[in-house]
Amino acid sequence: MHPFLADARKLLWYELAWLAAGVGFAALLRLDEQADWPGALAFAVPLCVVWSFDSLSAYYVCRSQPYRQRRWPVTLSLFGAASLLSALVWLGAGEAWNYLGGDILRGRAFVAMSPPGWVLYFAAGFALYLLSLLAHDVLIAFETVQEAARREAESRVLARDAELQMLRTQINPHFLFNSLNSISALTGFDPAAAREMTVDLAQFFRRTLALAERERIALGEEVALSEHFLAIEKRRFGAKLKTELRVSPEAAQCLLPPMTLQPLLENAIKHGIRQVDGGGTIAVDALVRDGWLHIAVVNPVARDGTPASGHGVGLKNIRERLAVLYGSRARIAWQRSEAQFAIEINLPVDKESGA
Amino acid sequence: MTTLPRLRALVVDDEDLARHLIREYLQGHADVEVVGECENGLDAVRQIGALDPDLVFLDIQMPRLTGLEVLELTGRRSGVIFTTAYDEHAIKAFELHAVDYLLKPFSKARFDDALGRARALHAAARATPAPAPGVDALVARRGAALERILIRDREQVHVIPVEQVECIEAQGDYLAIHVDGKCHLKPQRISEIEEQLDPARFLRVHRSFIISLAHLQAIERPGPDRHAARLRSGKRVPISRSGYEKLRELV
Repeated sequence: MHPFLADARKLLWYELAWLAAGVGFAALLRLDEQADWPGALAFAVPLCVVWSFDSLSAYYVCRSQPYRQRRWPVTLSLFGAASLLSALVWLGAGEAWNYLGGDILRGRAFVAMSPPGWVLYFAAGFALYLLSLLAHDVLIAFETVQEAARREAESRVLARDAELQMLRTQINPHFLFNSLNSISALTGFDPAAAREMTVDLAQFFRRTLALAERERIALGEEVALSEHFLAIEKRRFGAKLKTELRVSPEAAQCLLPPMTLQPLLENAIKHGIRQVDGGGTIAVDALVRDGWLHIAVVNPVARDGTPASGHGVGLKNIRERLAVLYGSRARIAWQRSEAQFAIEINLPVDKESGA
Repeated sequence: MTTLPRLRALVVDDEDLARHLIREYLQGHADVEVVGECENGLDAVRQIGALDPDLVFLDIQMPRLTGLEVLELTGRRSGVIFTTAYDEHAIKAFELHAVDYLLKPFSKARFDDALGRARALHAAARATPAPAPGVDALVARRGAALERILIRDREQVHVIPVEQVECIEAQGDYLAIHVDGKCHLKPQRISEIEEQLDPARFLRVHRSFIISLAHLQAIERPGPDRHAARLRSGKRVPISRSGYEKLRELV
């Protein structure tokens, strides 16, 4: 459907413009002494209104010739033919309205148009329709551009959603296979530990999978999941990895996107603890203050450590996820000092409704 | 009846349990003696140099230096069995260069196979010493663009992130790597490092010069048909005619 016909406001402005054009046309007729004022207005204004709808048909003519598939000789002949046809209709309607309408309404013709006048009238009809075709071409091009932009924005959102989904269910294969290798080693000399590690691994993945369809989870749930994760990592890295988790009961009830804390811990081990001879302690603090949930993760890093590539990517991912879900209300900041890496996340407090 | 020659093995992995497992698997092989264990790449570089083991069990993903970087720095090419949990990239490279590797977790049977092959190769190498061509190619061409350049300076290892490198100059058999006003020497050919660097960030502008585009400040014209690159540090590097063409396309 023509965009003007689909939008009452646009149609109104368009018709007003044509009414004005009709009055202008009448004034021209009057000036040329082809008619008196009532006759000129009665002739020109209704014709212009009819004409206004006729020129909208140019939209469909343009649409029948999509820009990319145009063969110019065909298109130009089509445009010419359409304009000619329209001008003929315009002429026929003009003559009919002038003599028949005038005869019925006033007993004589509205305007006493001379033959050259009719020729001019016909030419104007032709030119106007051609102009309408060109204007519609521009309009369609504009619409196409907007549509493309809209579609691109949409696909970006979809891609991001898919990425979020993937992130949530992400199973780090490196972690999985290394854990299995550790279990394989433990079976030889500490079967009980091997069994515990198997259970931790199963629990961790079970909980991770359960998150796939959830938008938000309580921090407490994420901490429980992370504890299984840390139990596994402690088996792998032994005394190198120590942790201190301080989560206030109030903070544990706050909702946040799943897999916000666990990737931070994974990063802290991968880029921090593992790189430091002798390891260290990862400290996690979560508390609620003034309607904000604060989560801080601090871990040691190697002094002479090279800026590990990939560290920033994970953090940027988390920042993007938070930005998608919270807009500008979420804050994530990180800072690296000589021997320490600290991340702080601030989120507006959001608790389970009805809880 | 022939007795097997004794093999001295080094186990490199940052996880205690992973090393433990290899030791356990080795218990059944009386001819293999574990002479050392390392839990990071730097340590491995030192120990390979000090002990010159016959066999190295080498983890790929390690702190400080990766397994491949250890090989690059030590020049070690034979008697290496790679171990990795998951590294699509490394595995593709292993397959490509027909290098033996163990995927964690691995079975005793798989381990014994790999050890058997390594033993045979070791015996063959003793008869006619030759570096393993697969490992050589593996170390030289790591696929993904180089992120850091390693330089061994006696007992010290310098790890230089490529973004800090201003330019690289060929000086005889060495590369002079210019970083922060300092210059490190590394025995390597310029064409080899050119292949390893990300072509979007580094450009060979001259037969003996590669510059970092991030450090490029201006292109100067000291004379007709002659060009030079001025780097942020103020250093000037000559640009050849073909180098100028390439640079114009990029900038």
